[in-house]
Order: sequence, then C-alpha cells, then structure tokens
Amino acid sequence: MAEALVEKIDRTIDQLLAREDASAALRDPSLAALARIAGELRMCPRLAFRLRLRADLKRRTTMSTVFETVNVREGFTTVTPYLRAEDAGLLDFLVKTFGAVETLNHPAGPGLTHREVRIGDSMLMIGEGGPVAPTMRRPQAFHVFVEDVDAAFERAIAAGGKSLGAVEDRPYGERSGFVEDPFGNYWYIARHLGPTPVPAGYRTLTPYLHPRAAGAYIEFLTRGLGAIEEFRHALPDGRVMHAQLRCGNAVLELGESEGEGMPRSGVFYLYVTDPDALFAQAVAAGATPLGAPADQWYGDRVASVQDPAGITWYIARPA
Amino acid sequence: MAETTDDIDERALIQAAQANPARFVDLYDRCFHRVYAYVIRRTRSREEAEDITSTVFERALVHLPKFEWRGTPFVAWLFRIAANAISDRRQSLARDDHEPASAQDPFEAEDVERRAMIFELVDRLPDLQRQVIELRFVEEKSIREIAAVLNRSEGAVKQLQLRALENLRKDMEGRRG
Repeated sequence: MAEALVEKIDRTIDQLLAREDASAALRDPSLAALARIAGELRMCPRLAFRLRLRADLKRRTTMSTVFETVNVREGFTTVTPYLRAEDAGLLDFLVKTFGAVETLNHPAGPGLTHREVRIGDSMLMIGEGGPVAPTMRRPQAFHVFVEDVDAAFERAIAAGGKSLGAVEDRPYGERSGFVEDPFGNYWYIARHLGPTPVPAGYRTLTPYLHPRAAGAYIEFLTRGLGAIEEFRHALPDGRVMHAQLRCGNAVLELGESEGEGMPRSGVFYLYVTDPDALFAQAVAAGATPLGAPADQWYGDRVASVQDPAGITWYIARPA
Repeated sequence: MAETTDDIDERALIQAAQANPARFVDLYDRCFHRVYAYVIRRTRSREEAEDITSTVFERALVHLPKFEWRGTPFVAWLFRIAANAISDRRQSLARDDHEPASAQDPFEAEDVERRAMIFELVDRLPDLQRQVIELRFVEEKSIREIAAVLNRSEGAVKQLQLRALENLRKDMEGRRG
C-alpha cells in the first residue's frame, strides 16, 4: 500500500513538472492532498535566492549608509585602534616584535605626540607622552597574524613582553602564542594553519574585544554602530566564546571577558560617511555621548561616544 | 478591530526598522514567503519572480520611512508594491496583456497564504527532505539525478519525497488548528 503510494505520487510529480495533465491525482483520495501540495511546490523559491537577497538588504542597510563611500587615508580601514602610552617604549616594542614602521608623528598637545604606526598591512594610532590619566589607560587586545609565530613570540618576550600562553597549535586552526606587552596590551600572535599565514578576509591586525556580557554587546555593535555579525560561537548558557563582526571594511573579534585583566575596553577611531547620523544612532542604541559632532583643526569632523563596554569611539568623517 | 498580538509584534518590527534600517531584515524574514507566493503566480518564470521580489523589498526599504501603520498588515503594502512592480515591468516589456489582479482579491489572498505557508514549512523540514524538495521542484531534477547528488538509492529518494510531502500536509493541518 505504502509502496504503491510512493510510486503514484512520484508519477504525479513527473506529470506536474512536465506540465502534463495531473488531474487524475485529484480524484484519488489517497493522493489528492499531496498532489495539491506538490502543485504549489513547483513555485517554491530557491533557498539560495532568499539568502542572497537577505544578505544584499542587510549590506545595504548597514554598510552603505555609514561606511560604503568613506574615503579613508591610504593604509587605513574603517576601524583604527588608539593606544595611549607614557613614552616611546610601546613603539619600541612594536618595532622589535612586529617590525612596525612609524608613518607619521606630530605634536598633539603639551608633552603629547600623535604617532601612526603600520604593522604589516594594518594601522595603529598611539598617543604618547606622560603622565597618562587613569581613564585613558585602556590596554587592548589584538589578534596579529605573522609568518613565523615562534620567532615573533620570542622577539616579543625579548622586548619585555610576558607570556600569557606558549606557542602551540590550536584546535581552531592556528598556531599561536599569547603575550602581554609592558603597557598591558595583549597580543595573540598567530599563524593561520592554512594556505596563507593570514586567513582570508583578515588583515595583519584585528582588535579583539573582551566586553562583559558579550551577547548584549554584539547587539549594541550591530544596532549602534552598524556592524554585521558574521560568526558566533556561544555556549548553551549564552556566553560568547568567540565572535566575528565586520564594521565597514574592518573585522572585529570578541569573546566573553573571563579571568585576570578583564573586561577590557579601549579607544577606536572609526571612519564613516556621516558622523552626525552614526553618533545619533549609537546614542539611541545606548552609548553615552562624550562629544557632539564638530569639525576639528586637522580637517576631520568628529563625534565621540562611550559604549556599554566602556570603549570610546571617535566617529569621524575624514577630511 | 482589536489589535492582536501579531499586529503589535508587526508594528514593533516596523517601528524598529524605521528607527534603524539595519532591522529591516526582520521584516524581510517575516514577509518574504508571502511576497514571493504573491509574485510567482503573476510572473512567467522563476527568474522574473526573483527579479520582482528583489525590487519589492528594495522599494520597500527606500519608502519605509514614509510608511504609516493604519492597522492593515504590512504585507498588504508589499503586495501593492509588487503589483506596481509587475505592471511596470509589463509596460517596459510592451506586452501589457496581463492585467495584474487587485491586491485585495479575497480568493487570491487565501491562495497566497496557503502557498506561503507551504514554502515556509519547507524550510523547517529535516535537511535531507528539504534538499529533495528543492532538487525535485526547484531544480526540476529527476529521481535518478537526485539519487546521484545525495548519494542515496532511487528508492530512498522517492521515500524521502513522499515523507516530505506527508510532513508538509501534517504541518499544514497543524497550522490551521
């Protein structure tokens, strides 16, 4: 009986797909309801189409509005980390460990120097000069991809870094070792275990955020700053072990803050097309306004907010 | 007419998307199948239906700030956009032989709901059954071709096909209460 039904429905489907007369099926009570559903299924949308259109709409509503047409300076991406240090020691550590190159320095106030530093294909800003106010002491964490992770790890230790985890192959597809520099920043030095040392879609340097309540924080980043969540590995209790987001053309990674030195905050310079709009959007999503949008002497129009994780964002339209 | 929970949910989604366009995808997820079900019957091919469906959501996104909630379902507004998009296309193709039906036709509406429900339920089928449905009805592959793609016997594929249809029928009855 069941076998017969299997064949009967298959023949009906063949007829439907060949646009032949399948009306006999509608007169067969065992077949009629299934045949009617089959008739509708011929018009079923392609899953790939539905997902592609969804992704298109998502891209249009997030990136395009604030990021897409922004012209950032050569070498920069949408997101640039800003580190504060008392003296040239941090630059020295980066030069020795990663072969960092200083691309710009100029005075930025009494006793303060603004430096821009390139590591591989990525940029960092450093505010240098002491003393550093406790509120500006915001060590960050970075995922940094190198050719030879063992050698870079050794150089980091020789340059005054402290090991947070020896170099080894990790189950998530990289060989990595973890170092804290003398200024409290964490460097997750890695080589991707794949065809290239840097995984596809990544650059040399990726900020790694360690907020408290990472799940809620991801919600803020997407609503407030227009970031797109690309990957999340969460435990059944909701704790986010690892997540990846795209903010304009930059990648951010984050994980729940656990253990010593956590949570971490930080300071970032964010390039957008419309700082006024994104400032309003970030504040509506729960950020605290620090500075209303204003034109700066160096040409950028800049607003600033502090987000729920304590991170300061300078939201800027480049000159 | 009293507001149902569903109305309130939908209204909240619309307001959220008006405040932050990034939330528009929530409305898309909610309405996609009904829009597609509406469009596919009025178009001549899957490609045309996909084009029109894309246009509907793109236009809806652009005009969303002007949308005012007056108690009619959001999807009725999308159907209107769809009817216009179809008629625009007919005119541009200079074959105005297919007058689009009114979006408010009650028989049409029921038809669309039923079709959209089936499409939505397909997404919830167990993976293998869903793949068989997609390969058979969307890709229009033969049982033999599907058996090769899925590395299963032809008999097993026919069984999966029957089970998928039976699950859809059961789920439909469940939905109707």
